[in-house]
Amino acid sequence: MTEDDIRALVDTRNGTVKPAIYTDPALYELELERVFARTWLFLAHESQIPKAGDFFNTYMGEDPVLVVRQKDGSIAAMMNQCRHRGMKVCHADSGNTRAFTCPYHGWAYGVDGGLQMVPLEKEAYRGKLDKSKWGLVKVPRLETYKGLVFGNWDEGAPSLVDYLGDMAWYLDGFLDRREGGTEVVGGIHKWVIECNWKFAAEQFCSDQYHAPYTHASAIQVLAPTPQNKTEGKPLGDGQTQRPAWANGLGGVQFGGKGHGSAFFFTENADANVWVGGEVSEYFRDTYAEAEARLGKVRALRLAGHNTMFPTLSWLNGTQTLRVWHPRGPNEIEAWVFCIADKAAPPEVKEALKRSHARAFGPAGFLEQDDSENWVEVQKVLRGHKARQTDFCMQMGLGFEERRDDGIPGVTNGTFAETAARGFYQHWVELMSGKSWPEIEAAAAQWEQEVVDA
Amino acid sequence: MTRFHVCSLSELPSGEAKRVESDPAVAVFNVEGEIFALADQCTHGDASMADGYVEDDCTVECPLHAARFCLRTGKALSQPAYIDLATFPVAVEDGEIYVTVETAA
Repeated sequence: MTEDDIRALVDTRNGTVKPAIYTDPALYELELERVFARTWLFLAHESQIPKAGDFFNTYMGEDPVLVVRQKDGSIAAMMNQCRHRGMKVCHADSGNTRAFTCPYHGWAYGVDGGLQMVPLEKEAYRGKLDKSKWGLVKVPRLETYKGLVFGNWDEGAPSLVDYLGDMAWYLDGFLDRREGGTEVVGGIHKWVIECNWKFAAEQFCSDQYHAPYTHASAIQVLAPTPQNKTEGKPLGDGQTQRPAWANGLGGVQFGGKGHGSAFFFTENADANVWVGGEVSEYFRDTYAEAEARLGKVRALRLAGHNTMFPTLSWLNGTQTLRVWHPRGPNEIEAWVFCIADKAAPPEVKEALKRSHARAFGPAGFLEQDDSENWVEVQKVLRGHKARQTDFCMQMGLGFEERRDDGIPGVTNGTFAETAARGFYQHWVELMSGKSWPEIEAAAAQWEQEVVDA
Repeated sequence: MTRFHVCSLSELPSGEAKRVESDPAVAVFNVEGEIFALADQCTHGDASMADGYVEDDCTVECPLHAARFCLRTGKALSQPAYIDLATFPVAVEDGEIYVTVETAA
């Protein structure tokens, strides 16, 4: 596939996309190499692996990766693949261990990934095996940002903070509301959705537009009322009556370096209408601390969507953080974490866990609305003609701006596809096999172009 | 015959083990106040039993390949090990643990 072939798939200047990007197996193979082996990917939250030997088993793209707390307190990440015949050396989702022993022939690795012991070494290898050369393959770049651990296979990639760019400002609003940072509460929900990874990632990046209609029934049911009491305080108790998009205060969408985010301005620190009363009360009670740390805009911002390119998404207020692990062009595994302020009281964390599962667990009322759309679109794209139809991505085209109120980056109104166009433009640059300096220059040029237009 | 000071009893909580750098190396275990000393190297391969998992039934499981041994007798209880671990006499005097090892000549 040539660079011209790839560039022909996406036209962000005119706002069109070819659906082949969601279905073509050859493009998918190229994505594993040029997107997932080059970008910063979320691996784990530090709170999941507090003690030496604690590990979390995850993926970078389709590559299985172990994230392990070391004896000196640092974190290492390595391929979960034995160097002998490639078997996974660890099959547990998470836990604590003193070694990773391959279940096939028994090669045993230390928690640092070094090859420690090989069965029948003297008899079978005749003393000729250099064990120092056969450790688990290390993830060469590892960085932590406010509790989130990221890995990158590309030694030439920019630092994590440079990679985030203006997106760090939006991420801080999620991770930095209170002293002590955040932690994962409850288990990790994992399930399969039969859609291309970009449908999920792009929606969380750029698509506020679907919410009023796709989620209409949920919003109807969840209107604040004493009748829908499920535990303790009723859902939506003490919150704004109308959905945030109907309050007339407007909002912002941000797009840059492939990342995206959007939210509405609100008068109160409301997590929209989708959390239990204990949770909404907690956000109001802790508003002053959040405002002192983050300023008014981000302290008030308890709704809205975010994607850090390529596959890390989160929602403020409902506190869901998810990775869309790609599984071929037509499937993803959603891995979903609930993130709470460490300083929140235990009963608020419990209420948050319930609110999170109710809205964005595998059977969550909002989650199901979303995945239904993605799965149905993917089905339509089995069609020969369907795969040749241009998709319209023109919302708000030409209305991008830079704000002067401290909200950073290229922005538009909330209902826009600025972040989607940025997401796909970034995808094109990566897929064209450009060097990182070229990719960064292209991102800067995109920003200049859309603001000048 | 050499007598080694292991550590204070208070430094070895129940369920934990300590390795003594004797020759051969010895692993000393505390199971609910009872102290046991066995050869540290697993008879299946190069692994330290002091890094093993101490189980409630007074056994230890090798950290690398899950061979189980009886802490009282050293007996190999499961594959892939079939050779027993050597055991060594231990003593607790004034809250201090000692092990006696017949050093390999």
